[in-house]
Amino acid sequence: MVIADELAAPTRLMGGSGSSRPKFKFDKSILGLLPLFLFLGYFLLYPIASIISASIHDNKHHLTFVLYKNLFTGNYREAFIGSFKLAFYSMIVSGILGALICWSVVKTSGVVRTITSSAAGVLANTGGVPLAFMFIAAFGQEGLITKLLLKVFHWDLYGGSFDLYNFWGILLVYCFFQIPLMVIIFTPALENLRVEWIEANESLGGSKLQYFRHVLIPVLLPSFFSACLLLFASAFSAFATAAAMSNGSIPLAPLFIGNLVNGNVIPDQANQGDAMAMGMIIVSLFVIAAYLLLLRVTRKR
Amino acid sequence: MKRQFTWLDKTIIAFAGFFFIAPLIAAAEYSARGYGNKGHTLSNYSWIIHQLGFSPALWTSLRIAAITILIVLVLMVPTVVYVHLGGRKYRRLVEILCLLPIVIPVVSLAIGAQVAMPKSLQSTSYELCFFYVVVAMPYVYRTLDIGLQSVSLSTLVEASHSLGANWIKTLLMVIIPAIRSSTTGALFITFALSLGEYTLAVLLHFHTFPTWATNASQQNIYGSIAISVTTLGGAWILLILVAFLPRIKSLFARKERVA
Amino acid sequence: MDLHGSTVEFRNVKRTFGTVKALDDFSLTIKPGELVTLLGPSGCGKTTALRILAGIDKEHEGIVEIDGKDMSQVPANKRNIGMVFQAYSLFPNMTAIENVAYGLRVRGVDSHKREARARELLDLVGLSTQADRRPTQLSGGQQQRVALARALAIEPSVLLLDEPLSALDAQVRAQLREEIRRIQSTIGISTLFVTHDQEEAMAISDRVGVMNKGVLEQIDEPGKLYNKPRTPFVAGFVGLTNYIPAVMDSKSTVLVLNQVLDVSDHSAEAKKGEEVRALVRPEELQVDKANDGSTVITKSFLGPVTRLGIDVGSPALIYAELTSKEARKFDTGDNVKLSINSDSVMIEYV
Repeated sequence: MVIADELAAPTRLMGGSGSSRPKFKFDKSILGLLPLFLFLGYFLLYPIASIISASIHDNKHHLTFVLYKNLFTGNYREAFIGSFKLAFYSMIVSGILGALICWSVVKTSGVVRTITSSAAGVLANTGGVPLAFMFIAAFGQEGLITKLLLKVFHWDLYGGSFDLYNFWGILLVYCFFQIPLMVIIFTPALENLRVEWIEANESLGGSKLQYFRHVLIPVLLPSFFSACLLLFASAFSAFATAAAMSNGSIPLAPLFIGNLVNGNVIPDQANQGDAMAMGMIIVSLFVIAAYLLLLRVTRKR
Repeated sequence: MKRQFTWLDKTIIAFAGFFFIAPLIAAAEYSARGYGNKGHTLSNYSWIIHQLGFSPALWTSLRIAAITILIVLVLMVPTVVYVHLGGRKYRRLVEILCLLPIVIPVVSLAIGAQVAMPKSLQSTSYELCFFYVVVAMPYVYRTLDIGLQSVSLSTLVEASHSLGANWIKTLLMVIIPAIRSSTTGALFITFALSLGEYTLAVLLHFHTFPTWATNASQQNIYGSIAISVTTLGGAWILLILVAFLPRIKSLFARKERVA
Repeated sequence: MDLHGSTVEFRNVKRTFGTVKALDDFSLTIKPGELVTLLGPSGCGKTTALRILAGIDKEHEGIVEIDGKDMSQVPANKRNIGMVFQAYSLFPNMTAIENVAYGLRVRGVDSHKREARARELLDLVGLSTQADRRPTQLSGGQQQRVALARALAIEPSVLLLDEPLSALDAQVRAQLREEIRRIQSTIGISTLFVTHDQEEAMAISDRVGVMNKGVLEQIDEPGKLYNKPRTPFVAGFVGLTNYIPAVMDSKSTVLVLNQVLDVSDHSAEAKKGEEVRALVRPEELQVDKANDGSTVITKSFLGPVTRLGIDVGSPALIYAELTSKEARKFDTGDNVKLSINSDSVMIEYV
């Protein structure tokens, strides 16, 4: 077929291995993906393989799993638990608030919709120092909002246990980019709700409450959970914001790894950092796997 | 229950908008403060530019962003186009591969880079370019894939062939114009990501704009907040522009038709 | 299952959307057990009328009654109306049988009775084997049958169908409309059917109401609608119509194709010599070989009939329909003479 030959041409353009005498049942068309395979192989899979390799050896190059065992003890354990806590709370708060906001956003259209969509996009991608410092400026001891709250509502933010640098402060900052992320992820699910379902419910005699209970919630629940899982993964892996907000008081896994890497490396602990890094990958893998499973359930509908 | 836009919805959005804009405004106000409560000034913004290391850091980040964009252009765009034209059966495989980086926390990738990459590569900040491509890959792939799908590229190419065009002509006159808007979107995402990426840069000890900004913050809190405001505000304005681009384009198109 | 047939009445119903009159002084009575179809192009108001009866559209003037009861204070979910939508109305998180049972569930019927009734209805629509399937696992035709079963499960007093077949393939459409009619007449439920497909309307209805821009132009049995259309719009919308340029021969006769015929719809404004258009059905035309100056341009074999497109000198071709047997005498390029097999024609003023 003429077209098939022509389609082989791009592989030559991209530096693929070109045509060869097909001795075996070898599908030439996969060669077009060679550049991608090579790139990902070297810059993604090879580093991960190296981490795996380093994490199962001690510094005497003996095969061992002790580094993984260590992750369940002491500071490492604290770090993982801290990250889980932060990710979990952030997921709950942002998931629920995000879903509610999403509900209203989905009803907008035109200019308002474009603005809210792009706003969500920008906000979801803020992080690190810009975000942290913005919050310090707003909610810090000298912050504008802190002062405003004091003057107008007579609410001393710092009177209680609130502190921008403790757990709840960081949670607040995380919600700032998690909620827009939720809006972005959850919007498609809401857009797939058909108005015919509401009308059918009405014509069959159902009340609004019954519609919620029997149709809306069951339909939305899987999408909601899968969106929450993505929020969890995102909060768990966040580094820049944690680094900017933390003054060392909150144990978080990404920061721990950062410390192990940043010249605080004690010879014995070099590989421990790799084990930790792998630990984070494994957690992330589980969460994404659960997400994909839920997605399949949703698609079946 | 109707899906009407009620006052409740308006309130919710207004509140949400307020909560998200308030910190930005607060930060803007903060950054405009002079020392010792002497009222407001924009001096902190000029401070940014005159700081030591501002230009080199910014320049480095721009160079890295440019190379990253180049790699995306040379690697990702042809691959996704190829998948849509000839390699259709590999679509699922490519999709999984390109979305794989999402699973890997950037921190872990940084560790991996340190462990695995040869010293020669690690000594240049261009190492970041390759990893930025990896990190951006899911978003780039999504954007290109959706864009190419909506254009049904394979149909266009078949039509072009049936009309007698060869591959070069088809490439120039059909394929490239068809993928222009989604490619622009993908490159834009890449650009934004490269400029703002902090984790990999700091863990691999490179001096890019974000790392510089973080360091500079130690000295002048007002100045660094000024940087934050500029970054966020700038990103927002840019994104709104991009979002409204279709409308602006159609405005011009209409004028042409009338004329 | 036998349902008492209800009487539905629309009296002077008006509905405007901004400046657009969706329904203009709309009045209609549906007799018990009758299947009435509202037929018309998009925007003619047929769906608006249906939604007003359903109670989904509440902002209208005029009176809507079911069995003599005024519905203006009755909310949609209390009207006991069964409704089948064009598409997408089945609840995706429920199986077919759960969907059908839903109306009973919200009424508090216990699960035993619910299931029994739901199965009974799925049987009625021929889907008892698909009871445990989800909507996405069913074909379009099957989904609409489940929707019908679901609407009937609550024993409604009126059945409303909003273009239920429009999203389906042609063959499924033809089959399903027969089934709908069969079920409807067996049960004896008063039904309002809305469609833009005139073949569908004519095939299954007791009466068809043709609507145009919010106005009910004519409501009649299908045969009367076809043979005695009362307005040019109805004549043009129902069945194929030729618009032949003609000239008024007097106030009440017209000269068309060299024949003088009575005008079926007299108008005081008609003047001799005025240019008009005569509406003639393809089967009313007789075709004979001649040297008249009319040429056969196209010949389309349609199975039982063949349609000849003839050029009489007017801008558009005139289409005549003959049985395929008769049509064998003619070929493209033949010279023919057309005559109208009717005493009167309908006129449209240009």
